[in-house]
Amino acid sequence: MDTFASYHPAALLGYFMAVLLPAMFSANPALHLLVLLGGLAFWALLVPGRTFAGDLAFYTLLSLMIAVTNPLFSHNGVTPLFFLNGNPVTLEAVWYGVDMAVMLVAVLYWCKCFHRVMSDDKLLFLLAGTASSLSLLISSAIRFVPELKERIARVHQAQKAMGLYSSGSYVDRLLGGLRVFSAVLSWSLECAVETGQAMKGRGYGLKGRSHYALFRLRPRDGWFAAVTLCMAAAVVTVMARGALTHDFYPKMTGLSAAPEALLGYAAYGVLAALPFLLEAAGRCRWHLLLRRCARQDTGGEPGKDGVRWTY
Amino acid sequence: MKKDILAVCFVVLLIAVLLGGTEIQSVEEYYRTHAEEITPQSETVRISIRCDTILDNWDDLTPALQSEEFVPQDGVILPETELVLHEGDTVFDVLERAVRSNRIQMEYQGADENSFGSVYVQGIHYLYEFSCGPLSGWMYRVNGEFPNYGCSKYVLADGDVVEWVYTCDLGKDVGGGWLGGRQ
Repeated sequence: MDTFASYHPAALLGYFMAVLLPAMFSANPALHLLVLLGGLAFWALLVPGRTFAGDLAFYTLLSLMIAVTNPLFSHNGVTPLFFLNGNPVTLEAVWYGVDMAVMLVAVLYWCKCFHRVMSDDKLLFLLAGTASSLSLLISSAIRFVPELKERIARVHQAQKAMGLYSSGSYVDRLLGGLRVFSAVLSWSLECAVETGQAMKGRGYGLKGRSHYALFRLRPRDGWFAAVTLCMAAAVVTVMARGALTHDFYPKMTGLSAAPEALLGYAAYGVLAALPFLLEAAGRCRWHLLLRRCARQDTGGEPGKDGVRWTY
Repeated sequence: MKKDILAVCFVVLLIAVLLGGTEIQSVEEYYRTHAEEITPQSETVRISIRCDTILDNWDDLTPALQSEEFVPQDGVILPETELVLHEGDTVFDVLERAVRSNRIQMEYQGADENSFGSVYVQGIHYLYEFSCGPLSGWMYRVNGEFPNYGCSKYVLADGDVVEWVYTCDLGKDVGGGWLGGRQ
């Protein structure tokens, strides 16, 4: 039951651009935090709890590494904490590293959501008419990594069954893994090339070919696009007026709490939370309807066959 | 198992080498070095740090730096100061001693990190290269002349006058240029 993914592809693509671009082109930690929270909340609805926890652990580690790396290379800032080989490690550089980590992880999470929501058929539907080779390239690039992961798992299992990982040594296991990785990488690249050739052989991208698509614009797509557009316009206007600027170097300017800035945060917060809200509302509605159906069918009692509907 | 032990030993060795090559100092330790007492026998040089050109190009300056805290009103970051000169001291050694004893922020790229084989001064007092337009950065003069040398390759002599100046136009606005023009 995916509510958010059932909106029209054009509206969805517009939404993803509207939510990601302001975060990527500003240095405001509040915006980065908002977009991270929105992405996390939506992703939590899309995947099972275990996967979510595993992802979260990995990305926490990644963001820690990014946050630690920045102060080693950037020494600007008015508050030195200590000196490393004659260059200062400053508080400002540490905070800048944390902010960069939050922004990067947020963008990665939104890309995961994008991949889940915008399936290949939607991308092809949107771009095949205007930029056929580009859309094919994008869809195979997005598909590449998940497919690679699956292939690695398959080869790994086959090798295990053949008894190739019998040595308990970590070094042997690491080297074996590398061997599998390099083989699977070249295999996957070859497959990508073959996919392109196969599509060409079937006449993909030729003039005059039409596409079959199930997508059509409905009133709710209009509402969704209108809300997205309004919020994005509000954020961009506030940003353009300079109310959301924030500097880390040489001295951190505090986050502005002017009414205009608050308006910008509120608009961006709504924008970032939109997929979560729509998805959550859709699920609530689904459960309510199921409950009503069950009640009407059986009068709230177990059915005639003795089976109670579970939901 | 043997391979594992070897790998662990290698990683530990690598970390040890890395840690051995890093020197960690507290803020107080770093700034503690006081300027040495000048005695009648000691050789000396004079050094100053100025950023007057920024005052003429205020609009090009990064907005975050447009404050008296970072650009002094008279453009003087360090007035002319006399320092003891040790045998073989380069311009960079003297600059480092001067900023340390006056608590001035400075960031540099070490001689082993770039292709010039000399230290490159990226920023002094939060004013960095490119902070005031695409042609801005720090340059130095010795006795009124811009040497065509990296600052850690120029060995100073008794009585030299070193001036670090901020340029907003590749040296033209401070009376120099790439080819060691005279002031």
